[in-house]
Amino acid sequence: MAVKKRKKDLHFFERIYLVEIIKGLLLTLKHLFKPKFTLQYPEEKIEQAPSYRGRPVLVMDNGKERCVACGLCSRVCPALAIQVQASETEDEKERYPVLFEINMLRCIFCGFCEEVCPEEAIVMSKDYELVFTRYDDAIFGKDKLLVPVEKLKDRLEFVRTQMRK
Amino acid sequence: MVVLIPLAKIAIAISILLFIVTYLVYFERKISAWIQDRIGPNRVGPYGLLQSPADVLKLFFKEDIVPSAATKFVHSLAPVISLTVAMSTYAVIPFGPDIEIFGQKVRLIVADVDVGILFILAFASIGVYGLTLSGWASNNKYSLLGGLRSSAQMISYELSMGISVVGVLILAGSLRIYDIINSQQGWMWNAFIQPIGFITFVVAAFAETNRLPFDLPEAEPELVGGYHTEYSSLKFAMFFLAEYANMIIASCLITTLYLGGWHLPFIDSATLSYGLMPLISVMIFVAKVLFLLFFFIWVRWSIPRFRYDQLMNLGWKVMLPLSLLNLMWVALLVYFFKI
Amino acid sequence: MPKVTIDGIQYEFNPGETIIQVAERNGIHIPHYCWHPKLSVSGNCRMCLVEVEKMPKLVIACSTLAMEGMVVHTKSERAIKGREHVMEFLLINHPLDCPICDEAGECMLQEYAYRHGTGYSRFIEEKNQKPKRVKLGPYVMFDAERCISCSRCIRFSKEIAKADQLTFVQRGDRVTIETFPGKQFDNPYSLNVVDICPVGALTNIDFRFKARVWEMSATKSICPGCARGCNIDIWVRNNEILRLTPRLNESVNDYWMCDHGRINCFKFVNAKDRVDGPHLRKDGELIKVKWDEAVNYTISELKKFNPNEIAVIASPFATLEDNFVLLKFAKQVLRTKNIFYNPHIKPGDQDDILIREDKTPNSTGLKLLGIQTSENGLSIETLSEFIKTKVIKCLIVVEDDPIASNSKLKDVLQNLDTVVVFATNQNKTTEYTKILYPAATYAEKNGVFVNFQGIAQRLRPAISTIEMERTLDGMALSRLDKFGTEFDKWARPVKYDAMSTWKILSQIARGFGFKFDYMTSEDVFIEIGNNYRAFSGLNYESLGDKGYKLNLTKVIEEKILV
Repeated sequence: MAVKKRKKDLHFFERIYLVEIIKGLLLTLKHLFKPKFTLQYPEEKIEQAPSYRGRPVLVMDNGKERCVACGLCSRVCPALAIQVQASETEDEKERYPVLFEINMLRCIFCGFCEEVCPEEAIVMSKDYELVFTRYDDAIFGKDKLLVPVEKLKDRLEFVRTQMRK
Repeated sequence: MVVLIPLAKIAIAISILLFIVTYLVYFERKISAWIQDRIGPNRVGPYGLLQSPADVLKLFFKEDIVPSAATKFVHSLAPVISLTVAMSTYAVIPFGPDIEIFGQKVRLIVADVDVGILFILAFASIGVYGLTLSGWASNNKYSLLGGLRSSAQMISYELSMGISVVGVLILAGSLRIYDIINSQQGWMWNAFIQPIGFITFVVAAFAETNRLPFDLPEAEPELVGGYHTEYSSLKFAMFFLAEYANMIIASCLITTLYLGGWHLPFIDSATLSYGLMPLISVMIFVAKVLFLLFFFIWVRWSIPRFRYDQLMNLGWKVMLPLSLLNLMWVALLVYFFKI
Repeated sequence: MPKVTIDGIQYEFNPGETIIQVAERNGIHIPHYCWHPKLSVSGNCRMCLVEVEKMPKLVIACSTLAMEGMVVHTKSERAIKGREHVMEFLLINHPLDCPICDEAGECMLQEYAYRHGTGYSRFIEEKNQKPKRVKLGPYVMFDAERCISCSRCIRFSKEIAKADQLTFVQRGDRVTIETFPGKQFDNPYSLNVVDICPVGALTNIDFRFKARVWEMSATKSICPGCARGCNIDIWVRNNEILRLTPRLNESVNDYWMCDHGRINCFKFVNAKDRVDGPHLRKDGELIKVKWDEAVNYTISELKKFNPNEIAVIASPFATLEDNFVLLKFAKQVLRTKNIFYNPHIKPGDQDDILIREDKTPNSTGLKLLGIQTSENGLSIETLSEFIKTKVIKCLIVVEDDPIASNSKLKDVLQNLDTVVVFATNQNKTTEYTKILYPAATYAEKNGVFVNFQGIAQRLRPAISTIEMERTLDGMALSRLDKFGTEFDKWARPVKYDAMSTWKILSQIARGFGFKFDYMTSEDVFIEIGNNYRAFSGLNYESLGDKGYKLNLTKVIEEKILV
């Protein structure tokens, strides 16, 4: 940051502005010819960093969700976007979500659900393209939320190393 | 013929004007994008060239909203004044020397008025009615403040503008624009002879056209668009058009008054065929105007807006003395060197 | 009286009281797992360690008798350290499965680990592996890993339920709880161990994994299962009852309730066979109609009969208010004296603990109102004769199923000209009715039950019907109830178009031109107070959360009205 000068400290050429204006014009002129780094969005897309918080997804391990439907994400969600209904399963984990719905119109992508999850079962993905035309489409059930663990490796790594020191 | 040629001239002039305005908007957006390290419109048509026509089309189909508390007649009248005035001023600006088409001697000007400069100054002053009336008729505090600011700004800067022009008139000895241009042949550009006048005029021109360091009447962050807050659809388009038309006129005026019109050193003395000469002259004129338009845009995206007190300080305490100084300088030049 | 000093303040005590009893009575909370106010002292959890001056070691507050001049510190550094260490030992083998544990949220181990624990574990060895899903009985699931061996469940079944079915087996870190070989933990009070279990070792199979405790709202109400009228909390999420738990009321049910009440007394509220909206029989089919249409039709039907041709069956399942308005309706509007109720007595199904053989919650209330099981020779047994001989041509049944009680009625019912039934659910009687009104269940209305001891106790609405709004009607709200919008699935619950019977009857009475202009059920209750000495001067506030003992001696034979 340039040090800001008081008006009385300016010397003559600065005072008559003209030189300073020309300096400013030359700066913008320089930028006129600089290479641009705009991304042509629908054709080009950014590979988001692991720290990016896209839509929350459920981790699918061996074809089943890791989630045990403890409801902590639902409780911590400041926007009340998550609804979980637990049920009993014969698996070792005893409990699983028979219904897991995230209302993407309510979700604010704060990542609290991910932070509170004791099973690393819900993580923020890199998916940011969320468009709906009807209210009901915005409620994502297990069919849309489940993502294989292989696709979420870097986020899980990030959660483990960065968020839970 | 007496009627047809002026009509043809008007038709050509206006269509060229509208075309240029359309693409001026496009270039303004492109240049602003480049200055900000962006790409700018590139989706509508190749390189985004159809962006402006698309915008115009969009404006056509927009709903025309008139505030219920507005003075309806004046509200509709104001943009018409703005645009008419801007277009009329265009009439007395020549684009090149006389040419001959089919044996007819045609002047590249719509109306060669003896008092061309006065005409321009007079019409420029009328232009402020458009803004002030729109501000008043909208019945909106932002619009009113915008209108108020524009009239105050116009009065403050018209003064120094007028006095700067007097310097040019003294040297040319005529109010006709042809004479002014012809007095600047070779290196005798007024920009070089009276640089202070040139600078004050350019600054005043920026202020008169409400372009960026002086766009206080619009001032989006403070006034939400100023005088045209309550305008939409075609009426808004008219203001928009008028602003860009004014910009073109200002560029033409600077070219004619200070940059030697279609004259360029060395070109005049060169031996060129009679048919080619007017064409080159017109191209020179257009090139100068285009550069000035670029300069307008360039400045807009480089220099931030003045504060209102700074604007007034500059107008009355700097511009006015400077233009008077320039007048004295020209008077002394004439007195001692009898130019 | 002798005095003991706890945390610098002197408290009086009765000789024989332990430190923890004195402390609890005076609002000082000493953490404890195995101690329970109604169970014998076991002293095995060691959580209630306190420091007593002049005693060399920390002592457990639950089994140390308070003595004159004793100086107890519950918050001294030694006591706190001691409890911290006990907490550490308890957590050594406790699995970290709070996410799947139903107790989470109301678990004392969570609570005390948070309040008295160190916050970290020094234990790096493998935890004990024990059976996770042991079905102890028909209703109770046992998770041996979670058990902290406090023995509350064992002592409960021995001392309160009088069924010595549980015991510790093995020793040390292998200790676990089992039933005797070939036996089941199936006493009628078995589910109370789920409440008193301080951890999630014992869970309710019926409620297992249905909801987290923090998602539900709890409404203080009364169990309608028998004449005991156990005080309960109704736990509701998304307008659906998920469980009932007992609520402390020492003069009625203490900390307990029976399994029958807990399991069977709420399912009909959200059952599929609920009557939803008023129905009229048209061409043999019950068709849902608008309220106005049903009321107008009822009025025109009832006007056809002489007073003596109408019989009214009151309901010991309905509230005092419902029955009072029904009585008033019968006597003033219909001018009939033929009003009686159908008793539901299961002889022998009674014990000394809670269960009563009278399976209705409000028969004492009916008696207080002057409604008997038989009137003018009319009773549930003789009714079929009256109908057969065409003495009774019109029958009004309120919240009861007389055909289920007396199958002979089924054959004679076609002799009746009109049957009007107020029912919560479809039953055998609704199959024959001409006019069917949807009555609100006990969980959907305000009202009063009088239990067999003569204690008038209040019902509060826990789930809302169409005419109610949770927030506006002051009902208990969960977090979801507070913040839901119409676009949230959890704010679009099933709501039934039902009304309290007194409300429907008042509407019909107004149609007859009578002034039954009660706004709330409390208005009705106050009018009962104006007419019956037993209830005089009472309102809902004076009933409070734990009921009001009525003076029965002078009123039981009283017959006034109206």
